[in-house]
Amino acid sequence: MRRLISGNEAIFQGAIKAGATYFAGYPISPTSEILQQAAAYAEEEPNFRFLQAEDEIAAAIATISASLAGAKAFTATSGPGFTLMQEALGWGHVVEAPCVFVNSMRVGPSTGMPTQPAQSDLLQIKGGSAGDYYPIAFYPNSVEESFRLTVTAFDAAEESLSPIILLSDAFLSHFYEIADLEAIEVEGVPRSKEPLGRGQRLFTGTAHDKLGNVKTNDPVIYREWLTELKDRHLRVAENYPLFEYLPCRNSSVLLIAFGITSRIISSLREQFSIFRPIRIYPILEKELKEVSQSYQHIIVVEGSDGQYASWAEWAVSRKVLRVPCLGGGFKLQWIRSQIEERLKGA
Amino acid sequence: MIDRSYKELLKVRRFPHTWCPGCGIGAVLKNVAMVLKEEGWNYQDTVAVSGIGCSGRMGGYMNLDAVHTPHGRALTAAEAIKTVRPDLNVIVLSGDGDLASIGGNHLLHTSRRNPDITVFCNDNEIYGLTGGQAGPTTPKGTKTITSPRGEPYSPLRLDRILTQQAPYFYARTTVYHLNHFRTCIREALHWKGFSFVDIISDCIELNGRRLGFKTAYQMFKWFDERFHIVEGVRDHLAEDELGIARVEVEEVPKALERVEAKPEIPVEGLRPFTLKELEHFDGAEGRPIYVGYKGKVYDLSSSPLFQGEKRMRCHIAGRDLTKDINIAPHGEDLIFNFPVVGRME
Repeated sequence: MRRLISGNEAIFQGAIKAGATYFAGYPISPTSEILQQAAAYAEEEPNFRFLQAEDEIAAAIATISASLAGAKAFTATSGPGFTLMQEALGWGHVVEAPCVFVNSMRVGPSTGMPTQPAQSDLLQIKGGSAGDYYPIAFYPNSVEESFRLTVTAFDAAEESLSPIILLSDAFLSHFYEIADLEAIEVEGVPRSKEPLGRGQRLFTGTAHDKLGNVKTNDPVIYREWLTELKDRHLRVAENYPLFEYLPCRNSSVLLIAFGITSRIISSLREQFSIFRPIRIYPILEKELKEVSQSYQHIIVVEGSDGQYASWAEWAVSRKVLRVPCLGGGFKLQWIRSQIEERLKGA
Repeated sequence: MIDRSYKELLKVRRFPHTWCPGCGIGAVLKNVAMVLKEEGWNYQDTVAVSGIGCSGRMGGYMNLDAVHTPHGRALTAAEAIKTVRPDLNVIVLSGDGDLASIGGNHLLHTSRRNPDITVFCNDNEIYGLTGGQAGPTTPKGTKTITSPRGEPYSPLRLDRILTQQAPYFYARTTVYHLNHFRTCIREALHWKGFSFVDIISDCIELNGRRLGFKTAYQMFKWFDERFHIVEGVRDHLAEDELGIARVEVEEVPKALERVEAKPEIPVEGLRPFTLKELEHFDGAEGRPIYVGYKGKVYDLSSSPLFQGEKRMRCHIAGRDLTKDINIAPHGEDLIFNFPVVGRME
């Protein structure tokens, strides 16, 4: 049925479509609607369990534990809550718990500007928890894509045995589009991990060998373990090389944008080529390199002070121009003038 | 022969374990395993969850599926597992620093939501793994490496936090009072809902020696001096009491309970005792412990309160207690459970 659906609802429906049976969360704008829907859904569907936790720390830990116990689990939050979830995110990678963390970004740092949209939690995906880990993150730019990518995120979680991050932003979460979610043919994969119970395994955040024995002073075992983790995650990421490329014949400038910014600048597609990474992390290194070759200038338009731009710069090994849309200011006219200014200066 | 079948529940192949000689955690692990074995809980239906710290390593030595969470998050993890898998028994093995300090918020809220999980808290009143820093339960005035002039703050009273609203189950015991300890474990496992066993334990290496104890055994004796066991179902425990405080949701008013007391035994057929005769049965030299109460004589010898060394403290033996019951910490229904052996002249 075609109807008006918000980004948040699409994410929730996507999770249900993927087979999610557990949600834990804590109220935070702009993802409170996902929490509310989960609460309402749990009332009518007894197999679906819901927890309104005391904080995001508990919500994230509960999500991962529910996943170990055998549920397809997810949680949803925004930047400040995602900061609290970092501990669990690191743990989830070590205990290999497939689940999905939704982070709808708003202006930070700290409480920031509730609730103005931003795209400034990219470094938090990768760098928030202690140690080395290799998360996978997707970022849709429409209501329908929010639905599809949620299912994709659950699938990737089962494949990589780790928490997958689904990014959104305050804009996308709260905005309504006409979509027919029932008509979208996607199917979630079955659970890939043996649930808790009837075993003698140890799921520990401490370094361990393949049998689950705690090994806190053996660099060889640690290296083997980390290499295996890295290989698995990069292999799974390669299965999802998601991006959108809109070339413009006459342009020597490539704009890189994602999420809500890519929607705003899509009206510039007659003037500039546009590349939209959907898999935000690991960075689409090969694709970025290939696409950017034929362009004189690369400009990243994003809702942070160059978080993705610095990654892109690393990927293409050359100077990348930046248009940071800060404090929730995403006006097209302003963006256009900034692009022109950067090109003049270049 | 000693029954060692509880070892099925332990990953003995991973021994020697990580704990110091004299540590109380070994006793916690062993006794939990023993009671689980007695109750027939095993890897088929039970999951252990633990936090961080010395006591957090207990889960890894249990022959069960075990989850070793980040610091302080054991309760949340246990609750989520129980929610998703109500068919599994979920036990939490962790310490006071983990559960009450960094996990304090989760303790408040998980206990409030009352999931059917059982928590065993190795309460050694110190942060042992990190070297002996003051913890949330360290008594005021205790010298530790982070409170060199004595801990300035009062400790957290877990009993008060966990017994503020029904239903609740809070048991306090020690690693020294073994029979009581096992009773508490058993009762907690049977409790439907959130049950918490606060096990007073020792950390001889990083706390005890600084306090002046030479051996773990000296610390155990200190526990014996500090605490005494109280019997029966209680609402609350005082600071120096070991026992079980529990309240179910449907509270039966005390007045109604008394109506259901045991049928009256006719006094006439019983052996008569004078007060003088009664004094003879004081528990010394293998004699039984008799007390008089409301015209009848009861045999208290089987009470766990008066076993072994405790028998020596039995100051009530050989006396008529009819008047003393008013100042006793329990009601008269405790006495009615013991066999009647005679009547007062």
